[in-house]
This record gives sequence, structure tokens and C-alpha cells, in this order.
Amino acid sequence: MASPAVVRTILRTPAALRPLLLRAPRAAYHEQHHDQATPYGDAERTILSHALAYVPAHGFTQEAITFGAKDAGYLDVSRNLFPKGTFDLVMYHLVTQRQGLKDRIQFPDETMGVGKKVRSLVIERLRANADAGVVWRWQEALGVMSLAENIPASLRELGLLSDEMWFLAGDTSVDGSWYTKRASLSGIYAATEVFQTTDQSTEFKDTEQFLDRRLEELRVTGSAVGNTMQWMGFQGGALMNMLRSKGVRI
Amino acid sequence: MASIASRTALAGPALPLKARIIPLAFQLQARSRNSNGAKRTLTFSAATPHDGVHPEHSSRPKKVLTKAQKQFLDSALRVNQAGELAATRIYTSQNPPIIKAHPHLRPLMKHMYDQEAGHFKTFNGLLAKHRIRPTAMYPVWYAASSLLGWSTGVMGREAAMACTEAVETEIGDHYNSQVRELLVWEKEAKDNGETLGPELEALLVDIRRIRDEELEHLDHAVEQDAKEANPYELLTGVIRAGCRGAIWVSERV
Repeated sequence: MASPAVVRTILRTPAALRPLLLRAPRAAYHEQHHDQATPYGDAERTILSHALAYVPAHGFTQEAITFGAKDAGYLDVSRNLFPKGTFDLVMYHLVTQRQGLKDRIQFPDETMGVGKKVRSLVIERLRANADAGVVWRWQEALGVMSLAENIPASLRELGLLSDEMWFLAGDTSVDGSWYTKRASLSGIYAATEVFQTTDQSTEFKDTEQFLDRRLEELRVTGSAVGNTMQWMGFQGGALMNMLRSKGVRI
Repeated sequence: MASIASRTALAGPALPLKARIIPLAFQLQARSRNSNGAKRTLTFSAATPHDGVHPEHSSRPKKVLTKAQKQFLDSALRVNQAGELAATRIYTSQNPPIIKAHPHLRPLMKHMYDQEAGHFKTFNGLLAKHRIRPTAMYPVWYAASSLLGWSTGVMGREAAMACTEAVETEIGDHYNSQVRELLVWEKEAKDNGETLGPELEALLVDIRRIRDEELEHLDHAVEQDAKEANPYELLTGVIRAGCRGAIWVSERV
């Protein structure tokens, strides 16, 4: 969430330097060599971004793509660029929103915990759905994503989003918890996104509360598992030390 | 190897004057622009021009890695982290039985453990920085290496040292192959008038240093009668095969 002060700072900066401000601090090797260039060509990008404007009215449909192509000045037939049809449109929304997440949110407060940052990131990502006007059509998108042939790509994209969120939240753990963190956040995000499609409350207050309950559950389960493991480790170590003190050569 | 490194070092001052001035000029320009609307939030953006965000201003272009090279780096760093995890676990679990039986080995074991812990920290940092996933076998390697360290520790000093010898032989080979690959990249980059970039050059230095330290452990192990272990061939053979298998798996998952 960009606070008014941050927005003012950005607007005061000379236009040429604004992209630098919006860029999250990143490793140079990552930036230079692992560039996250969008997988879309110019024509595809133009058509799909125009098509997204038709989604609120026409949904995630072939018509939206056709209208988008017309708007962008391409022939109707150019929708053949998208062999997967509406799924390409859904993926375009997902990919651009994932890549745009780092520009939508920044954390000037260094003391903010990783958990709070993750919460803000999830809310910001869901708000992006609302800003793009696709929330009320999102069930159609979820339907397209859940078709058997689209499931692997959808799950991969969900994983990438979850990875991006942990990265932006400043999580640097590279042990076994790398996988459990990404899996649990993916689950929570997917559930919250489904909840959001039916949320009628003002500014998605209910969605935020739903998210908070899921995060709290994760925290409770996570600490229970962590405590149990710690207890078992301690008992094992104590047993070894006791046997050693009795003269057993282990 | 040494000749390539010294040639790279000499290449710096030979650059044309103009090329060396441009980055500084850009920095000054960026600083004067920033001072207009200076806010605290601007500080990191003022630093970005130094980080090579504008490659067109840097004197020699950085080598752009191909997809295969990125994949090589990803899996190489992942294996290195897993290897150092295993090494720290082996020394940790060898420690109690060994120093109980041979208290004079305490400084040597601590020295080797401290170096391994430093390597582990280096690779943890690199994985986090470059967003490389750790190996999915992390808990398995953790348990397996603890068991290996403990069982060889219980078998006695010679067996523990034979284990160190076997592991460090494999790891030394493994690091050597990475150094070789990075040197090939460096040569390619030089032929195209590019540099590897500060990060890859630092990685090369790090991997060489770590390899030398691992081989130093190998020498220590041999000094401590690793070859006297019984059955030496079987023990080192099994451990080396296990290491190669673990490297093969960690490169993939």
C-alpha cells in the first residue's frame, strides 16, 4: 500500500528517475542475468492489455480478446496469436500483476515483520484484482484455470506469485522451510482469492478478515509444529548426553 | 589459471580515459538531480547507478549469461549449499565421540567446523540473494549427514578421518569442476570484450578459497591416519559413492 507521503515523493521526483524509485532493491546478478522480462511480444501485450479493459463487461471470453485486438488496431484474426484462448488472457493478467506487485507496494518502515509484510502483499495483490475490475469476473477465470490442461501452468504461476511475495517481504530462509512457506502461502492466497469473488462488503473488509484468520491458523500450526520438533530434538540430545555420561561410547 | 587471472587484473588500467570517466559523470548527475527533491526514501535509488543498472554507462559490458549458464549456476550453488550443510552436520555429530576419545583433536575439529560453518553461511547468502531454491532433499541430507558423522565418529578417529578424506576428495573435485566452468566463461567474456561482472568474479574467488580450505581438511585427515581406517577401501568407497549420488540428486531437485 503506497501511503500519500510516498506517492508525493514519487511525484516530486523528476520523471526520468521515477522508475528507479519504484524499483525494489534487488541483487545486480539477479537483475542483470535473471531478467524477468515479460514473456509477451509487443503485439500480444498490446492486444491482451486492451482486451483486459473489456473483461468487466464481457468477462474472460473470446469476445474480449477480439474487441481488444480491434482496439489495438489488429485484425480479428490476430486472436490466433493466442492458441489457448481465454487462458492466455487470464495468464496475462496473472503475470503482469505478479511482476507489477513490487511497484504497487513498498515498505519504508524497516521494523515491519515479515508476517505483516506478507499480509500487506496478499491484500495488495487482491486489491490489484479489484483495481483491474476483474473481481466480479474472476470466477470465470478460476474456471478456466481449473481445466485439466491449464492446471500445471496455473499452479506454476501461483507458486511464482508466492515466491515473489516471500522475496518482497524480505524472507531469506533457504532451508527446508523454503518449500513449506511457499506451499502454505499459495494455499492461503488461493483460498482468499476464491473468497474475494463472493465478498460483498465495503472495500473487501470481509476478505481481509478471512485472510487474517487463515494467517493466524498458519501461525498457530507453524509454532505448534516448531515447538514439537524443538522438544523432540532436546529430548534426543538429552538422552544421548545421559548415555555418554554413563560411559556408553556413543 | 594464474595467467588468466593476472591478465584480467592488468586489463583495468589499459581502458581509454573517456570510458572510465562516464560512470563518474553519471553518478554526479544523478546525485545533483536527487538533491532537488531529496527525501530519505531516495537513498537507495541514488545508489542504483553504481550497481550497474545502466550497463550502457559502464566501461566494459558485463557478460550476459545464457539460459544454460544460469541453470548451471543455480544447480551448482544449490549443490554447494547442500554440501556445506552436510559438512557442518558431519563435523557437529563427529565432534562428541571424537573429542571424548582424543581430546587433543579438539582444536583441529573446531577449526574445520568453523570453516565449514563459514562456507555454509556464504552459500546461504548467495541462494537468498539470487533467489535460488534450496534442494528439496534438505531434511534428508540433514539426517543422513548427521548419521554418517555420528557413526564414523563412534567407529573411531581413523574412520572419522577416512570419512573426512572421502567427503573432501569428492567435494574438492566438485568445486574444481565449477572453477573450470567459470574460467571458461571468463575466457569467453574476455574474447568478446566483456567482463564477468563483479559478482561472478567474487563467486570465482570464493569458490577457489573454499576449495582450498576443503583440500586443507583433506590433508589434515590424511595426517591423522585416515589411511589406517579399517576397512579403508570399503568405507571411503561407500562414502564417495554416496557423495556423488547426493550431488547428482541435489543438482536436479
